[in-house]
Amino acid sequence: MEAAPLSAPRYDDASVRRFITATVLWGIVGMLVGAILALQLAWAPANLGLPWTSFGRLRPLHTNAVIFAFTGNALFAGIYYSMQRLLKTRMWSDTLSSVHFWGWQAIIVLAAVTLPLGMTQGKEYAELIWPIDLLIAVVWLVFAANFFGTIAIRKVKHLYVALWFYMSMVITITVLHVVNNLALPATLTRSYPVYSGMTDALVQWWYGHNAVGFLLTTPILGLMYYFLPRAAQRPVFSYRLSIIHFWALVFLYIWAGPHHLLYSALPDWAQTVGMVFSLMLLAPSWGGMLNGLLTLRGAWDRLRTDPILKFWVAAITFYGMSTFEGPMMSIRAVNALSHFTDWTIAHVHAGALGWVGESVFAMLYYMAPQVWNRKLHSVSLATTHFWLATVGIVLYVVAMWTAGVTQGLMWRAFDEAGLLQYPNFVDTVRTLNPFYWIRLLGGLMYLGGIIVMAWNLYKTATSDSSNALEA
Amino acid sequence: MSPVTDAVAQSAQLGWVLGVMTVAFLTSFVGWTLWAWWPSNRERLDAAALLPLEESP
Ligand code: HEM
Ligand code: HEM
Repeated sequence: MEAAPLSAPRYDDASVRRFITATVLWGIVGMLVGAILALQLAWAPANLGLPWTSFGRLRPLHTNAVIFAFTGNALFAGIYYSMQRLLKTRMWSDTLSSVHFWGWQAIIVLAAVTLPLGMTQGKEYAELIWPIDLLIAVVWLVFAANFFGTIAIRKVKHLYVALWFYMSMVITITVLHVVNNLALPATLTRSYPVYSGMTDALVQWWYGHNAVGFLLTTPILGLMYYFLPRAAQRPVFSYRLSIIHFWALVFLYIWAGPHHLLYSALPDWAQTVGMVFSLMLLAPSWGGMLNGLLTLRGAWDRLRTDPILKFWVAAITFYGMSTFEGPMMSIRAVNALSHFTDWTIAHVHAGALGWVGESVFAMLYYMAPQVWNRKLHSVSLATTHFWLATVGIVLYVVAMWTAGVTQGLMWRAFDEAGLLQYPNFVDTVRTLNPFYWIRLLGGLMYLGGIIVMAWNLYKTATSDSSNALEA
Repeated sequence: MSPVTDAVAQSAQLGWVLGVMTVAFLTSFVGWTLWAWWPSNRERLDAAALLPLEESP
């Protein structure tokens, strides 16, 4: 591009290191809570009979921890790392970077305290009470200012496609968070949403769906467009396709929320809009998947030895899988079977553990040696992590698919007299129990993998300078 | 309104919404595609693809 001075400007890698550390720590906490939930569903006494440790209170703790703490910090680490390098400039303001980091961690701590205490707005993925929501808005705007400030002082004119994906996240999450959380405070811990009834549900799932879209999908795709070419040491298969991928994805995503409200009181036509847009999403999603996989053309032999590429290939494959499954589940007839069952949980975790988790691991194994300037402590431990994670996901997802379809079929089974064949809910619970144990096993393997990574990265960061990447 | 007129109103609404959206999305989709594949943009975009690889870490 425009010949920028190659005397590398000094980048703020201290922030990247902090965000990486937070990612790993919160990842362990969030997934440990996930494993506890899995145990509780298999074996009820694990609820301990205490309100603070009951499934209902720990479940939002899990979702908030893995989405906003684990994935959130990982996104910030990857964005701070890549945007400085793509724009050849330091982040705009070190102060804002610090406020962003510490503010975000404060929010997470507040969430970890309030959720077990039962303080909640009752909206999925937007459970946090209004004072914390205000803090989120402030910290997010700090990040946004730092982000756009850095773009304003950039030394490279063209904004590489990864940055477009990041930008769509920064803008969309701002709007989603503010609109969905509009509420009238009654006390410090309680508030009433300004929406009611069906409108509330529609706003909530417009938010819920796009939170998935613009935290768990779009920014990770942006990171893929930066970190995959670096790991594969070749440019993305088709840069033009990545542009089409971006615009088609962001335009279609926004309209697909109603697929969470099929067969609800939402007007039929709005449900149909959601379904149609979800089906169309298949095209850009698979375009992106192919663009990622084809980037590895000519590098497939390195897959055998490079755990980073292994993680990317698995992640992108899971992305393809869950973006095929999602549109299918948006079809009314399929949703009639899958909704309310463990099939949804299988879909969620194929995306979350496969696509999100394995992309994050690929990125961390690449970034950590760079920002600590140390060779990765152990490539074979990273490979062990890969196999633990991947086999863990397969156990989790296959168990939940089987459980989900079984559950759906049992609920709709009739006997010869036209009565429900399994009128007692507990019949399904008993049938599903073995699958819940298998899910727990898969989850524990996945959790074990991330602990292995934590050790590996710790040894990397603390090794002495004889292991420096460049002397 | 009767259930029948309700249904008609609803499907008319659906037709409108889907019609306008289809035209809008199709136009912009064709627009981006033309832009991305426009010969005079080729060199610029090919160079942009190399941006992540430019700098040693
Ligand atoms: C060790 C890893 C994990 C385990 C064992 C685990 C386990 C669980 C369990 C047991 C549930 C409750 C399911 C139910 O209510 O029936 C759940 C829900 C959920 N988990 Fe995880 N999880 C893990 C990792 C993750 C990660 C990394 C993410 C996201 C990045 C994630 C996102 C979610 C979401 C969004 C839900 C709510 C799904 C819904 O409401 O449909 N999980 N998880
Ligand atoms: C083209 C892409 C996708 C489509 C069309 C899609 C569609 C769907 C549908 C229809 C549901 C079930 C709604 C219900 O019955 O309640 C669902 C649930 C969900 N999906 Fe996807 N999905 C897609 C990709 C993904 C990806 C890549 C992820 C994650 C990383 C993901 C995360 C989730 C989550 C967390 C839920 C659970 C929401 C809840 O009920 O709490 N989806 N999705």
